[in-house]
Amino acid sequence: MNAGRHMRHQLKKYIGGSRMAEAGCIIMGIWILLAAAVPLLWPWSYSEQNAQICNQASSLIHWFGTDRFGRDLFARVWYGAGISLVIGIASALINGLLGVLCGAAAGYAGKWADMLLMRAADIISSIPSMLYVILLTLVMGAGIPSIIAGLCVSGWIDMARIVRVEIRRMRDMDYAHAARMEGTAPMRILLRHLLPNAAGPILVNLIFLIPQAVFTEAFLSFLGVGLEAPAASLGTIIQEARSQMMLYPSQMVYPLAVLCVMILALNMVGTAVEDRIGDRREETE
Amino acid sequence: MKVLDVQGLCVQYHTEKKNQSKAGDAGSETLHGVSFSVEEGEIVGLVGESGSGKSTAMLAVMGLLKGKAEVSFERMSLCGEAPVPGRNAAMVFQDAQSCLNPTVKVGRQIAETIRARRGCGRKEARERAEELLDQVGIHNPRLRMKQYPFELSGGMRQRVVIAAALACEPKLIIADEPTTALDVAVQAQIILLLKRIVRETGTSLLLVSHDMGVTAALCSRVYVMRQGRIAEYGTAEEIFYSPREAYTRRLLRDAKGFRRLSAGGKERRPLLEIRYLTKEFDTMEGIRDVSLEIFEGETFALAGESGSGKTTLARILSGILTEDSGEILYRGERLERKRSGSVCGGKIQMVFQDPYAALNPCLTAGQALEEALRGAGRISGKELTREERRERIGAVLEQAGLRREDADRYPREFSGGQRQRICIARALITEPELLICDEALSSLDAGAREQILSLLLEIQKERGIACLFISHDMHVVRQVSDRIGVMYGGSLVEAGRTKDVCSDPWHPYTKQLIESVPEPDPLKAAKLKSVPVTETPVREGRGSLLSPKKLPPVGCPFAGRCGYALECCASEAPGSRRFGSREIRCFLYSEAHSGKRSEGYEMTSQI
Amino acid sequence: MLRYTMKRVLTGVLSLFVLATVTFFLVRLIPGSPFQRGGVSSQVVEAVEEEYGLNEPMLDQYLTYMGSLLRGDMGISYQDPGTEVAEIIGRAWPITASLGITALAAAMILGTALGVIRAVAENRALREIISAGSMLAAGIPSFAAAILLMLLFSVKLRMLPASGLLSPVHYILPTAALSLYPAAVISRLTGNTLRAELQKDYVLFARAKGLGKWRTIFTHALKNAYLPVLSYAGPASASLLTGSFVIESIFTIPGLGREFVSSVTNRDYTLILGLTVFMGTVVIAVNLLTDLLCAWLDPRMRRAYREEDV
Repeated sequence: MNAGRHMRHQLKKYIGGSRMAEAGCIIMGIWILLAAAVPLLWPWSYSEQNAQICNQASSLIHWFGTDRFGRDLFARVWYGAGISLVIGIASALINGLLGVLCGAAAGYAGKWADMLLMRAADIISSIPSMLYVILLTLVMGAGIPSIIAGLCVSGWIDMARIVRVEIRRMRDMDYAHAARMEGTAPMRILLRHLLPNAAGPILVNLIFLIPQAVFTEAFLSFLGVGLEAPAASLGTIIQEARSQMMLYPSQMVYPLAVLCVMILALNMVGTAVEDRIGDRREETE
Repeated sequence: MKVLDVQGLCVQYHTEKKNQSKAGDAGSETLHGVSFSVEEGEIVGLVGESGSGKSTAMLAVMGLLKGKAEVSFERMSLCGEAPVPGRNAAMVFQDAQSCLNPTVKVGRQIAETIRARRGCGRKEARERAEELLDQVGIHNPRLRMKQYPFELSGGMRQRVVIAAALACEPKLIIADEPTTALDVAVQAQIILLLKRIVRETGTSLLLVSHDMGVTAALCSRVYVMRQGRIAEYGTAEEIFYSPREAYTRRLLRDAKGFRRLSAGGKERRPLLEIRYLTKEFDTMEGIRDVSLEIFEGETFALAGESGSGKTTLARILSGILTEDSGEILYRGERLERKRSGSVCGGKIQMVFQDPYAALNPCLTAGQALEEALRGAGRISGKELTREERRERIGAVLEQAGLRREDADRYPREFSGGQRQRICIARALITEPELLICDEALSSLDAGAREQILSLLLEIQKERGIACLFISHDMHVVRQVSDRIGVMYGGSLVEAGRTKDVCSDPWHPYTKQLIESVPEPDPLKAAKLKSVPVTETPVREGRGSLLSPKKLPPVGCPFAGRCGYALECCASEAPGSRRFGSREIRCFLYSEAHSGKRSEGYEMTSQI
Repeated sequence: MLRYTMKRVLTGVLSLFVLATVTFFLVRLIPGSPFQRGGVSSQVVEAVEEEYGLNEPMLDQYLTYMGSLLRGDMGISYQDPGTEVAEIIGRAWPITASLGITALAAAMILGTALGVIRAVAENRALREIISAGSMLAAGIPSFAAAILLMLLFSVKLRMLPASGLLSPVHYILPTAALSLYPAAVISRLTGNTLRAELQKDYVLFARAKGLGKWRTIFTHALKNAYLPVLSYAGPASASLLTGSFVIESIFTIPGLGREFVSSVTNRDYTLILGLTVFMGTVVIAVNLLTDLLCAWLDPRMRRAYREEDV
């Protein structure tokens, strides 16, 4: 249908014309391409150990060098990047969906539903969230699902709050009243009239959720409670390099740099979209 | 002696900047060699439609366009010096609310000006600020000083802004639409205040306004601006009684309003009856015991100042709010409220005040209309095919004065007047029997206002729709309506045929309302009278702020401001009395006051 | 206002109760026993568990724990017999808090200054440099920043100490790593809100009243622009005050974060619980204080709270 056209229109509305957003998108595109292609096409595997070539510096054969088990770091870093990205996107989507659902329900229904959700959000947000992620990963055992579950304990709260505020603000706008007077069903008002107008803030929040999740995952793996070997994410690779930090700092710098580039690129897109929305608000007010 | 002398002022906005002055689409608001002058102790008006460049001229004189626009001039002098804001010139803006810092007490906002001007100590500044507040007619200035802007009423905020301007001890005050955001009664007060200030302090005043009535009431000389140029200038008498330019004549004609194309009112079958409707709020305007009827095909206007409950009534009728008590009959049947909010199966529709908020920015005009059709289809159970829907949308757009192609455009691509046309089309597409227009014209320019008004009347005549027209603008109300209801403090104080009520008001409040509208006629406007307006209560000590709009528990709501108040007015609410076509709530017309009448006696105005 | 505060405190207590309950059961779900260690036979483990009452029904244990918690007793650490949990917290928190406060102060000062410059500066290049810089800083996770700083200043240049928190010089690197991200966010927020604030009519009016440019910025605009900054800084300072696990572990600082990580790896039930409850209290208290501070700055919010009282 024209959903695709609408989508493209929205994307153009929020991203088009901003050099920063375009640069961010391009960097992100290259990054994703590498994360997808390197594990498939690179001659070295991420897990194959070779004691003869351990701790090598960068060379034409091993672009990022090798780690202490002689594994090729370039392969490992991009493999880990893929894992990190999967975790980031999956948890951002789950959190986003959860947040939009709860926020929209609370904002539109009001009364007790709103009360219930907001109290729950208050309680969850008073928990030091990192603590809970750690506890949960320990209980569920290491692995991608437990990390995602941990990330979803409190990750949706911000999104829910933002959506709730937006929906509440718009619920009393005249166009919502007009829709009700025409006899439009409440669900249709919510989906057709209100949520599309909150698309901007939702998009921004969603974009920022990804680097947040990637960051938290890297951080957990860094603490040693994340993924288990031989699976590797950027965090675990950084953690592995830590014991030899003084001798071979480059083993740590490469994955760190890859991580920072990704977070930076997403931040650029998010910030540009946020600024765009801010400008649009100013114009309409 | 010339206080302000401006020759050949040119302004060119920097085009790459998106945010310019808020006074409209500033891209076109460029000045081409504008010259004007103000004599000592004189009030000069600068009038024109929005976008004509009058606000830009003011900002340029004050030197507040730095960094936003290129300003050049042949001469600009204020008593021989360059104008310096805060030293020899001061400004009063339209929106007092946004001019005052919301988080700083009003006393400090005045005192800091005095300190910046005189370099004196805090204590002296505070004392002077109290004097100034007293001068601008604020009672109990010491307590008011400690309040925040949002705790004051609109009129009082504008007084505070004027006091802050006076604190600069200026030779010239520039007032940019100083009364536009205010109710008529408060507007009259501010007009008189400005006049008094000019008389007492000897300062000059340059008034920027689009309102010909206000200009007539204040100014002795007038400049008419159009598209960045001075179109015409002269004394007030010249401009108002013998305008040379067609543009000026058009402005005057728009201001005097619009001649009614008498419509409807042949069959007198009531479409909507409201009986003893009551809705009370803690903080918002409530209504109490309101009863009225609207007949098929007629236009009923509701007038009254903000906070009088007009909008609350409209919102109850449209199903946005529910009443506390009372009943609404639609074609003799009790109004049924569905949970989805639509009332009478979509037979009542509404045109809102702000066309920017009334249209969903994510939907094209066509989609918005389609949604309306879909909603109506849901109620009636009739689903239209896609072609039928398209056809209906095209037809209704054309009827509303737009093109069929406009269906694919988003609201932001339309001007305010065009948006209001879309809103009207959306209201009409479901074929309603009653159209509620809640201040539907007040956010539009005079030109767009006239066009939309004639569109509404035309459609009404064609389709025979009844219309509930809500407005605070007595000019408009007088021109459009068959019957009128005047609301004050949540009750309907007077209702009757518009012709009767406007030419011979019976209720003291109606009289006041009509008299405080300044006419675009300097002689008539000079007779403008001030009326007392209740002020928001001062917060005492640390106690919570009383909500000012709460209805008084007993008595006539107008008793406190009424010059004819009787003893019983404060203790008892007057009942509704009917005399012919007129209905009135006032003890002046009670038997107890005027005595028992003989059979054939015809009641006349008691005031 | 008082009623509002009371309500918030009550919600906070409720939150803590939920937090303690969920954590209590969650901790016991972690596989492994607190006393399981290499070379210790299972009989010994069971004996010790019995001594600590770990073989009683879960509900009884829970009630006992909550009872003593209500009396303010957080119990004894399993790992470090004889040491009370309260004592461990009392030892670790001042270290964490002193670092957190230093980082918070650094972030606020730096962020505000850069934000104001970005909003006010007429030099476009300067504005762009500041916004690019803050974007870059916000893109570097704190642990990455910590590692990079350490590699550069301690390993390569050997200018600054890499571990411990003995002298003011030791504070430099951890403070820098901790404050980088909040400083970036604060500068961005301050810059954006101040710029929006400066567009408003009251600023124009203040200038028309004859107030100077800087006076208008500092006495009028900045105060209003700071409200959103504060509502970010509140939760951010809460996380700074409860300690950063990573920064503390990278720089080997004996603070709360490190205690927590070691308590989790050791399955030290009472210490995990005690730390969770303590951190929860700090977070709730700081958030409440932030809201009260905002209300103090913004009379409109004050009124909204007051109306809630009625």
